[in-house]
Amino acid sequence: MLFENRDKTPPTPAKLLRGWLEPIVADAPLAWLDDRIAAVAAGDESALYLGFGFAPRKVGKQPLELSALQLKLAQEARSGWDPSRWSVGQAARTLLLLSIPHEDPEPYFGRLEKLFNAAELNESVALFQALPLLPHPELLVDRAIDGLRTNVKFIFAAIAHHNPFPEENFSEAAWNQMVLKALFIGAELDPMVGIDRRVNRALAEMLIDYAHERRAAARPIPAELWRMVGPFADETAMEDMAAIFASGTEVEQAAIALALAASATDEADNILRTRPQVASQLNQGKLTWSGVCAAAYAN
Amino acid sequence: MRYIDPHIHCSSRTTDDYERMAEAGIVAVIEPAFWLGQPRSNAGSYHDYFSSLVGFERFRAAQFGIKHYCTIGLNAKEANNERLAEEVLDMLPLFLAKENVVAVGEIGFDDMTAAEERALRVQLDLAKELDLPVMIHTPHRNKKRGTYRSMDIIEEHGVAPHMVVIDHNNEETAKEVLDRGYWAAFTIYPKTKMGNQRMVEIVKQYGSDRIIVDSSADWGISDPLAVTKTASLMLSQGIADEDVQLTCYKNAIDAYNQSGQFNEADWLEPTPIDEQKLFEGNSVLRGQRPDSPPSQENEIIS
Repeated sequence: MLFENRDKTPPTPAKLLRGWLEPIVADAPLAWLDDRIAAVAAGDESALYLGFGFAPRKVGKQPLELSALQLKLAQEARSGWDPSRWSVGQAARTLLLLSIPHEDPEPYFGRLEKLFNAAELNESVALFQALPLLPHPELLVDRAIDGLRTNVKFIFAAIAHHNPFPEENFSEAAWNQMVLKALFIGAELDPMVGIDRRVNRALAEMLIDYAHERRAAARPIPAELWRMVGPFADETAMEDMAAIFASGTEVEQAAIALALAASATDEADNILRTRPQVASQLNQGKLTWSGVCAAAYAN
Repeated sequence: MRYIDPHIHCSSRTTDDYERMAEAGIVAVIEPAFWLGQPRSNAGSYHDYFSSLVGFERFRAAQFGIKHYCTIGLNAKEANNERLAEEVLDMLPLFLAKENVVAVGEIGFDDMTAAEERALRVQLDLAKELDLPVMIHTPHRNKKRGTYRSMDIIEEHGVAPHMVVIDHNNEETAKEVLDRGYWAAFTIYPKTKMGNQRMVEIVKQYGSDRIIVDSSADWGISDPLAVTKTASLMLSQGIADEDVQLTCYKNAIDAYNQSGQFNEADWLEPTPIDEQKLFEGNSVLRGQRPDSPPSQENEIIS
């Protein structure tokens, strides 16, 4: 693929996807897919709906298992795009989506709406993970926000995790609701693209209240919450952090240490000094938010 | 022993039912599209129902370790609302290609009207075109005639009997259905359909070839454990293990896996793409898995 690309412009996501399927899908199903892609591109609606449904059983459901180089090309084709967890069938479904005629936004949007409204679980995942590749993103923002209202955690994750769409398209209010809901349902924050770039005071204030309420009810507070609070920690937050730093679990102490470092105040330094061992781990760069996330959600 | 309930309306049942079913050994269920006990007034309500059969209900069942499949179709009762029926028939292609859809159904006759017959014929053609099995609902009233008429129409449309499960059979219909080469399902449902003692007698008489037991449990007084209770009764009355396995598990797989969507491997060895394991196998159902002990009267709610 690299060598064919003589003009040095990065290949499109559709070209990459089709290229990845070439060596792993047998001739007959690949021919079926190419035929469906052509039909969808020609405006055939029923080819889209049936093809989208049938794709995984035709081409396979196994993971794509992309190499580091392939993932790098994906990033070059579309920054923030991370298909490392994609399946073969999902790639085929995405190719069909990318073939829908989109010059006229109205019928294009109508078709996507029909697919979203009738989607089963794995189809929903494919649709939401395809969002950053689809034309007219502005038409799809409400759909993504609505998708986050799901009770099904892996559909929530298809939008919130490893997906650059929310960072690029969500208002502050929508972004904050996504983070709040993630903490509520026990979904990780670390895999959210742009999680630190989009910290904001309003989010921190909501989370400080939430943490305080959890403490009052003697319920555990998700360790990753403090990542959003650190840069904006107020008096209440400092009190709560000091208390958890004194008596919390190892993961909680690591999270508080990172948050205190981000708040960069004298008071934070004083709290940090109460646990010299944790402070020294912090100074040696041994504590990271990814590490906190992994430890907090280890089974 | 593992069991399948190949006809149960889970959307009408509670999570307690799912818990008891899983405990009793039920590993997979098929939920046929049906009415809600009252007629739907518009196609949108049908759309959302189909969408929950392929979506949320599947997720709900998975939380209890039960694999959920469904059949998609316009039932006979609602086929009589012709305006609604047209819209629903148009909608079917959108749902029949879904991953957990194992048949077109349940379709067939209720009052044996012309509108019911038209809907049946259109859907038989769809099943044939998409190479999907068919689940046939046979009527409560005028059962024998309705059953025979359904089979006549199926044969007229060139749908092979081995692709069709005729459901809600009784002592009156069993022989003809089996003789004509169909799968014969029996519903163990108190008062209106079969009892499990009668079912034992059926298996004694006809053996286990192409015979399937289900509960059709729904919003009425019915029993989500009807399949496992019938299996126990069969075993206690000397029916061989193998025949119990066929009628309460294996035959349903053979009938509905003609869709390619009802593989034993789905529940025996879930793939990494299985919904419970999506996204790096990080147990996405964490916190949503029912892990509490059976409820007790004085339990503290935390």
